[in-house]
Amino acid sequence: MISRRIFTALIGSVALLPSLGLAQETAPAPLDNPGEVKIALVRYLSTGDFFQAYLSGVEKQAAALGVDLQVFDSRQDAALQADMVDQAIALGVDGIIIQHGLTESMKEAAQRAVDAGIKVVAFDVNVENDMIPQVEQSDRDLARLALEQALADNGTEFVAGYVYVAGIAPLDRRDETWKTVKADNPGINEVAMFGTLDNPIANSVANQARAVLSANPNITVMFAPYDEFAKGVKIAVDEAGMSGQVSIYSADISTADIALMREPGSSWKATAATNPAVVGEVSVRTLAMLLAGEDPGHNVIVPPTLITQAMLNDLDIKTMEELGVKLPAFAHADVAMTPWMKLPQR
Amino acid sequence: MKPETSLADLAIRYGFLLLMAGLIVVFAIARPAFVSPQSAVFILQSVAITGILALGVTATLVVDGFDLSIGAVATSAMMLSAYVMVVWEMGAVAAVVLCLALGAAVGLINGLLIVKMRVPDLLATLGMMFLLVGLQRIPTEGNSISTGMVLSDGRNATGTFAPEFLMLGRYRIDFILPDLVPLSVVFLLAIAVLVWVFLEKTRHGRVMYAIGSNAQASALAGINVAGYRVLAYVISGVMASIGGILLSARLGRGDVASGNNLLLDSVAAALIGFAVLGAAKPNAFGTAVGALFVGILLQGLTMLNAPYYTQDFIKGAVLVVALVFTFALSGRTGRARG
Repeated sequence: MISRRIFTALIGSVALLPSLGLAQETAPAPLDNPGEVKIALVRYLSTGDFFQAYLSGVEKQAAALGVDLQVFDSRQDAALQADMVDQAIALGVDGIIIQHGLTESMKEAAQRAVDAGIKVVAFDVNVENDMIPQVEQSDRDLARLALEQALADNGTEFVAGYVYVAGIAPLDRRDETWKTVKADNPGINEVAMFGTLDNPIANSVANQARAVLSANPNITVMFAPYDEFAKGVKIAVDEAGMSGQVSIYSADISTADIALMREPGSSWKATAATNPAVVGEVSVRTLAMLLAGEDPGHNVIVPPTLITQAMLNDLDIKTMEELGVKLPAFAHADVAMTPWMKLPQR
Repeated sequence: MKPETSLADLAIRYGFLLLMAGLIVVFAIARPAFVSPQSAVFILQSVAITGILALGVTATLVVDGFDLSIGAVATSAMMLSAYVMVVWEMGAVAAVVLCLALGAAVGLINGLLIVKMRVPDLLATLGMMFLLVGLQRIPTEGNSISTGMVLSDGRNATGTFAPEFLMLGRYRIDFILPDLVPLSVVFLLAIAVLVWVFLEKTRHGRVMYAIGSNAQASALAGINVAGYRVLAYVISGVMASIGGILLSARLGRGDVASGNNLLLDSVAAALIGFAVLGAAKPNAFGTAVGALFVGILLQGLTMLNAPYYTQDFIKGAVLVVALVFTFALSGRTGRARG
């Protein structure tokens, strides 16, 4: 799927090339002739704000470098995703970014790509291969930032509800942090754990959260470490008329989330997030470094930012764009950077 | 044949309702909060959307058809309502009217595909399902719709959800307690009664049952079989779009979703409905009870901290038991009536 937007961006970057060339070191081969470089993004998850923003980051960074990007979308079909890697190999791409997926199905496909001499980067899926750098948003840090805020706001003793679905790698890593924090703070009393990925997720989680809140009307903190979960919990809290009592702490962010957090009297107090667009940019930059024969390191970690309701209100932030402008830590991560790296225009 | 009230007959007629009453007692003992007016309303609210979809499916089941596209119609209507208000910046009335029109149009196309083009119902509506899942994403290039989203031409969308529209999913009516009953529950109850009256008490409804049991005989009796079958799909499409409107009003944004869970839950409710009162056929009362049954189960299990997969397991088990009630135990009486 090469949209018109990428195409125009490609043309634009070609037109800009002479002027940029003067200001910046010339990129090493093969990126000195980026029009000839083909990369593929092979996706497992694509529905939702996060994955859309991730894609836009990949597209922008690819356009800034001037490389030809092709997107394969398996829509949560693990077998199809592995086939798509083989398809990309057959197309003769120079680099592949694997975005999410299952270790079991992707491990061998990734190895086949490496064997074919293709540079591979994996985002948020462990393909157990030393040749393949892992780009990660640090889910443990994400959960830690949100929970530290919860402890700061509510003290170390509170009754908590927790939204979790096992078996999803980022949620499992966030769960590890939750368990640690609970162990360190025995005053936290987790009375309910629920969660589902039935879509629309927010609606299904809202139904569950309603039941949980009526069974446990003493809950004061909800830890919902995924923004679709937090949306569902917020709907339930509002419907139960408990927004004055319950505080929601989550992870991830989108423009719609910002609006919800800023509603008057909103129970959604804080979220920790890595800008998914930045993660997308970092994925492409990591691949570009590999293509140029440089070493990005095995673990490329994109650090998260804490975003509180108060910050959003004080800085009057309404959209993701404004968040990037007014909270510079959110707009750019200084990882996978080289002197020759061309960045998307802000 | 003179009806005899043997134990088996009683079990077939009232077994399911007894099971439901038993469940309520069990949950009430385990979690006293389960039996409060609020809790009753929660349950109704959680099944409002699937219940309305299930009533639409019931209409197609009655004419011996099936509509697989309802989940996709609902999520398409949700996306459409969000698009109308956020991108086109139109009001609540326009959003509701366009959504209902979408539902009716999809139902009409389904009906014509099945009646005029002779495409089997499952295949026609399956095709429509995929078509809609894709179509709903085209205008926004796959993005969810909310205020402030970036449009394909780089502008930010500035429209907002009309407050009157949000009321459809969020406004609460004073009943026993202040602010108790959400409008979506009122819609569910009103639609359930309407569909029940239409199917059981009007000539049109009886004609549709006649078509369902023997289309050829109905045609020979001078009934416009094709017309009624198209009507059933239009009803189903409109119900699904109402479900989508309520979903959109509850979430306050257009969420990209396939709606497959909505489809499966509502079909389950309609099929469980076969077993209620030993009807052994699709019926509006049974469908409403089926939806309620699933709602009670999920609500109670969530209160007991049962994880989602045990809930799916139990939902499936209930469906299987209901189908056994219908096809094995009451098979004789069902055929005798038909």
